[in-house]
Amino acid sequence: MGENIFVLGTLVAPLAGAVVALLFAKNNHAQRLVGLISSIVAWIFSTRVLLQVHQKGVQTYELGNWPPPYGIVLVADSLGGLFAFMVTTIMIGGMLYTLHSHDRCMTYPAFVPLFLLMEVGLVGAMLTGDLFTLFVFMELMVLASVSLTAISDDQFGLEAALKYILISSMGTLFLLLGIAAMYAALGTLNMADMARILLTGERPFLAPASALMLLCAFLLKSAVFPFHFWQPDFHTTAPTPVSAMLSSIVVKVGVYGIIRLVTLLFIVEAPLLQRWLALLGIIGVIFGSLGALRTYNAKRMLAYSTFAQIGFILVGIGWGNTLAMIGAIVYAFNHAFIKSSLLMLMGVVASYTKVKTANFASIVGIGHKLPPLAGWLVLVGGLSLAGVPPLNGFISKLALIRGGVAQQDWVNLILLVSAGILTLIYMVRAWQQIFQRAPIPETTPTKEAGDSLLAPMLLISICLILGIVLAEPLLQLVTETVREIGDPNTYISAVRLRLEGP
Amino acid sequence: MIEFMFALAIGMLFGIGVFQLLRRDLIKAAIGFAILFSAINLFFVAVSAFEGEYAPFVSNVEAGRQTSDPLIQALILTAIVVSFGSFSLVLGLVNIISLRYGTVDSNAVNNLKH
Repeated sequence: MGENIFVLGTLVAPLAGAVVALLFAKNNHAQRLVGLISSIVAWIFSTRVLLQVHQKGVQTYELGNWPPPYGIVLVADSLGGLFAFMVTTIMIGGMLYTLHSHDRCMTYPAFVPLFLLMEVGLVGAMLTGDLFTLFVFMELMVLASVSLTAISDDQFGLEAALKYILISSMGTLFLLLGIAAMYAALGTLNMADMARILLTGERPFLAPASALMLLCAFLLKSAVFPFHFWQPDFHTTAPTPVSAMLSSIVVKVGVYGIIRLVTLLFIVEAPLLQRWLALLGIIGVIFGSLGALRTYNAKRMLAYSTFAQIGFILVGIGWGNTLAMIGAIVYAFNHAFIKSSLLMLMGVVASYTKVKTANFASIVGIGHKLPPLAGWLVLVGGLSLAGVPPLNGFISKLALIRGGVAQQDWVNLILLVSAGILTLIYMVRAWQQIFQRAPIPETTPTKEAGDSLLAPMLLISICLILGIVLAEPLLQLVTETVREIGDPNTYISAVRLRLEGP
Repeated sequence: MIEFMFALAIGMLFGIGVFQLLRRDLIKAAIGFAILFSAINLFFVAVSAFEGEYAPFVSNVEAGRQTSDPLIQALILTAIVVSFGSFSLVLGLVNIISLRYGTVDSNAVNNLKH
């Protein structure tokens, strides 16, 4: 029996942490400790799940012992397991940052529970094998992140949160409409069962329509070109650890969903979808890089950069050959670490100003107040984002470009490489502005102490390890993952559908 | 006939909902949001409510009668809970915006525009 309790544990650990943290509503420090402990427990579980997936194959857990496709089943295949591992690892960084932060919003009793609920939503969306449950978890994640941004110290947080929830709920509606259309067409909600029916060659009238609706919903969640306009505001105004999570792992839910759509559910429609994905991705790459180049705020620059980096991943999915898929998944994995550490570093920089702003006008030369380590961390993170060897950003760019060469799509390749050079320009310029220029005392009222550098240090060192020591194992892991998701029958047979009933 | 009426009702609700969501008044936008969710729930009902004539009890199934789909009702219940949660969160945000800005006109709530 594939009753792996650890798949459930990865989900339940942060959920239990949220409940326990609510019990400690009066004691803020205890709340943060509970958050850290439960995210570490979730990380241990997800690591174990990932190891088991690669030793024994797909792990499942049938909730309440209801056999699929009638009951809800949690499925950790190599793709879901890898993404869940990424989420729980970065979540530890977020909780570590929260532990030593001085933001006012983190003293509210609801902060830590909401943060953990966001993790539940993320992990749940990546581990569920049921399309409707995916919707519920995604909505949980959206509601938690909206609440977290609305209570941000930044006065514009509220407005950005309202803007996001109104736009995102349109995406949610289309997701729900797509799910209803799939149910009408196929009579099931289990993804393995849907894939089984669609593989038999049956093409109900509603299936292509619902493919498009699901795709739009996922594109909206990961802020891809026509649906991106909420993203820079929302990611800039969120509290620092939250914005680090939003820009690194929350956008990856959409990427995960898109990979599932093109590799598991709609294999026949995939070439058409992928052509569009490559086009939208390249538009995102260009406009995201140009937007990051001309923005006035360091956090906003990184938010635009996320817009561009998601474009890189989508181009990889759009190329669709094995090497490009490996590149896209490695890119998604590495980008999460780089972007979360960089946003936390900008949060640390902003915490040294009186009004907690990351506007370039206010943080010019503030680096002299910070510990000298901060400058090196920002430089390493920036170079990694731009893809300079030997950092992990280089590994992911290299893997992606190999896919492009295999596809012989030279135009897009040239655009991607030039966008990488733009990344180098804006990251080095930001570093120079903050750490190299002389401070302007009258325009930058600063504080003597700020947030701790511990969490970004941890994440940057993971970036270094991923670039130097673990680059080859990661590539092998992802190669196996791509081989596994290349054959939907692995996923379908692992769920062990019992269609006749008990 | 009833399916055509359902399609008409869903379409009208969807249209009204989108129209309300795009209003300048944020409270009307929030209510448009609730209307849109009702349209989706109605779509769920229309998807599979008309197949059987009996309630989905075990006794009816064993007697060989064609029962309606019970799963769809559970789905709608969950969707209602989720939409109610988001709707109340939207109303809460609009409430705080009305206190902070003194208006719910979305043209006046434009501090993000730099």
